[in-house]
Amino acid sequence: MKRSRLPAVITCGVILFLFAPLGVLVVNSFNASRFGGEWEGFTWNWYEKLWAAGEVWESLWITLKIAVSASVAAMVLGTLAAYALHRFRSWLQDVHHMLITLPLVMPDILMGMSLLALFVLTGVETGLLTIWIAHVTFCLSFVTMVVLGRLQDFDFTLLDAARDLGATPAKAVRKVLLPLLLPGVLAGGLLAFTLSIDDYVITFFVSGPGTTTLPLRVASMMKTSRSLPVINALSTLLIASTFLFAALSSRLQRRA
Amino acid sequence: MDDFLVIDHVSKTFGTQRAVDDVSLTVAQGEAFSLLGPSGCGKTTLLRMIAGFERPDRGRILVGGQDITALPPELRPVNTVFQNYALFPHLSVWENVAFGLRMSRRPREEIRSGVDRMLELVRLSEHARKRPAQLSGGQRQRVAIARALVNRPQVLLLDEPLAALDLKLRQHMLMELNTLHEQVGTTFIYVTHDQGEAMSLSDRIAVMNVGKVEQVDTPENLYETPRSSFVASFIGDANFFTGVAVELQHEGYVRVQVEGLGSPLVLSHGTVVPNQTLRLMVRPEKISLTLSRPPSGERVNAFRGVVEDMAYFGSHTRYRIRAGEHSILAQLQRSRFSGGGIDPARGAEVWMSFHPDEGRVVRLEGDA
Amino acid sequence: MSTRLRPARQWLITLPSLAWLGVFFVIPAVLVILTAFRPADLQGGVGPGWTLATLKEVQDPAYLPILWRTFWLSGATTLICLALALPVAFQMAHSGERMRQVLLLLVVIPFLSNFLIRVFAWKSLLHPEGPLTKLLIALHLIPENAVLLNHAGTVLLVLVYTQLPFAILPLYAAAEKFDFGLLDAARDLGAGPLSAFSKVFVPGVRRGILSAAVMVFVCCLGQYVIPQMVGGTGDEMLGSKIAQRVFSDRNLPHASALAGGLMLAVLLPMLVVVLWQQFGRKEAE
Repeated sequence: MKRSRLPAVITCGVILFLFAPLGVLVVNSFNASRFGGEWEGFTWNWYEKLWAAGEVWESLWITLKIAVSASVAAMVLGTLAAYALHRFRSWLQDVHHMLITLPLVMPDILMGMSLLALFVLTGVETGLLTIWIAHVTFCLSFVTMVVLGRLQDFDFTLLDAARDLGATPAKAVRKVLLPLLLPGVLAGGLLAFTLSIDDYVITFFVSGPGTTTLPLRVASMMKTSRSLPVINALSTLLIASTFLFAALSSRLQRRA
Repeated sequence: MDDFLVIDHVSKTFGTQRAVDDVSLTVAQGEAFSLLGPSGCGKTTLLRMIAGFERPDRGRILVGGQDITALPPELRPVNTVFQNYALFPHLSVWENVAFGLRMSRRPREEIRSGVDRMLELVRLSEHARKRPAQLSGGQRQRVAIARALVNRPQVLLLDEPLAALDLKLRQHMLMELNTLHEQVGTTFIYVTHDQGEAMSLSDRIAVMNVGKVEQVDTPENLYETPRSSFVASFIGDANFFTGVAVELQHEGYVRVQVEGLGSPLVLSHGTVVPNQTLRLMVRPEKISLTLSRPPSGERVNAFRGVVEDMAYFGSHTRYRIRAGEHSILAQLQRSRFSGGGIDPARGAEVWMSFHPDEGRVVRLEGDA
Repeated sequence: MSTRLRPARQWLITLPSLAWLGVFFVIPAVLVILTAFRPADLQGGVGPGWTLATLKEVQDPAYLPILWRTFWLSGATTLICLALALPVAFQMAHSGERMRQVLLLLVVIPFLSNFLIRVFAWKSLLHPEGPLTKLLIALHLIPENAVLLNHAGTVLLVLVYTQLPFAILPLYAAAEKFDFGLLDAARDLGAGPLSAFSKVFVPGVRRGILSAAVMVFVCCLGQYVIPQMVGGTGDEMLGSKIAQRVFSDRNLPHASALAGGLMLAVLLPMLVVVLWQQFGRKEAE
């Protein structure tokens, strides 16, 4: 039976469309020309400038600190939330479920603005803490969804079997549920980590002086045309690390 | 100990549904006992109450004299082989079997020797390091059994043990389970909906229906003297007739008048009153077929019919014979020595006969 | 599992996430709505007392074009994303296991890259002295001095670019569950490939279409970085106006009123989806 080639063609087109701009960035990071209009020769120049740009590495450090701590908090809260949503059926969980899904569809600007309003009105100074709080808040829902998916595939008779063999309910959770849930929790954590590193809008609203995360740094660099080619180099490095992360994550998924 | 496991007036209701309705049973130590019945009869709920995953609304459960009704599953001297085996996927076969011993904090040497010995018993020693996912269905079941037995439970519960296996494997495991039971000597409680399984595995069977126990007896007695039409039809095939008692004889024999079948003589276990409406049961293989009328006598029940249909099964043939309003199922073994070697065709007139001892009065459903 | 669980246990496990979201999501949202009813402080904060003046301010007809632009850009983006995502989801679900993983990875990786960088990539790609412009001029597709940037069309392009993975993923999830045997049946009954696709596949994944559409649409409503970076001064969306009110004009109540309006615009499609699902469930019963 003749199958239409159209979906395959469109898919190729879409994939090209998705990667083309990134490809241009990568190519231009080695391009001696400032505007990337023409190829003016291969150079490491921009990477050297990037290496020397101390403020970029400072921002990276801040970003990583926040991302790791926010992911950990989101993993803990998200796993508890997923367990509650799966295990219990009541009006409480209906409300709980609604609260968890709302941040997933809330535009960043609303989240950022409302958190800023909270901090302003309670007199909390914007800085690392406020960014951390904001990141945990929007990552929580994502982790919950990932872990919830895992729980739905989990065979709960395993816990009955553990109790039948002499384990207290707490021991059954520790020795059977958690080890089997761990890959899912880590996958959720990895997702949270990626979202945290990437976040711009919300962070923009709740950051303070001295807490310039990497996306914020990139944004300010974009405003000065002098730094444009360096951004290409930085982008290339970020894209490369994204590749690595995605590969790691899919390895984890496959093991689970 | 005859009343090693005692179920004492246990009831359990889910919402408006009476899953288990005032059930009382006793199981002897070392016995192989089955809870048999269709889905929804309450056997699984009863099993879960013995294991500790459900709490009875009323009644008590005792093991070896100890009241375990209020104990959580992890403290009961009972272990379960789950229907889907519930093997821990992240642990090896060895670690799965060792799990219960680790939970009771047995010394390391005891754990090692216990697990090794148990794996040898179920012949899985060479698979000890594998994960459950790498094993076949039959092997997984043996791990589940080993994992339960290694803890030396006072009662072993097996939930539909042969349900997940294919036919050949099922026959093989049947024999293995019987051998295991003999070797280990623990009290085994099976839960199953398959009467063939229950009969081959058990010393005694409790037939359950809508939360109640209909009859507890040995497989032979259940088959030969079922006390209700439910039991009669659930175990094996049966022909049922309704008639009126016209003559009471000694030793329990009753002559019953049945429309279209004359007045056969049958056996009753309970007391019968004249003119009482009775329900009779005759097993298909107890009916003999002849082309000519069998010699008459006090102890011969004979009547005529026409062959409607037949089905050949290799070792036997089943016939559907019409006698008046009745559609009767008869089964003939195929050998030189049975049935006079007859092979009636469709539409043929035959004589059916059965011995009075093979005609049983069964309680009508709903009778006291 | 024992059916007799203390209700306290449920509360204990639910409380951490519930409390966190209550404090850091619900309360801030309520605060924003409340702020809309307070007068603005000259120093950029919030003044005392309550007033409806801000609400009146917001009913300025000058907002109408912005609202209109926001809605039509979001709608257009949603439609284009769906049109592209459907064939891609189809292809992904239709492929073998290996190819499926590869395609999934390829779709997800750009999505995981930094958002700003992706927008920036387009900015340099469409630069007047950039390669694409030069190529298109060389092919005589656009006039000599055309500027591809700072254009409503650019905003649409970049919106589609960033939202496309959000459309593909839920559609792929729905397509995975789709029974492709139905397409064979349709072809067997005489439908051509296009017909089978539109009459059997598309209705078959309508749950995924709805999720994808809501996600993309709602996400676009709140966008402000993209119009700011690649749009012209006349291409503002609601989001950019809110940002402007917060940071440039320092008029929190005004921004809150706008944000409140945006919140309503976001919650409405969500409500429609929830009701639709409830209705579907009742129908099934």
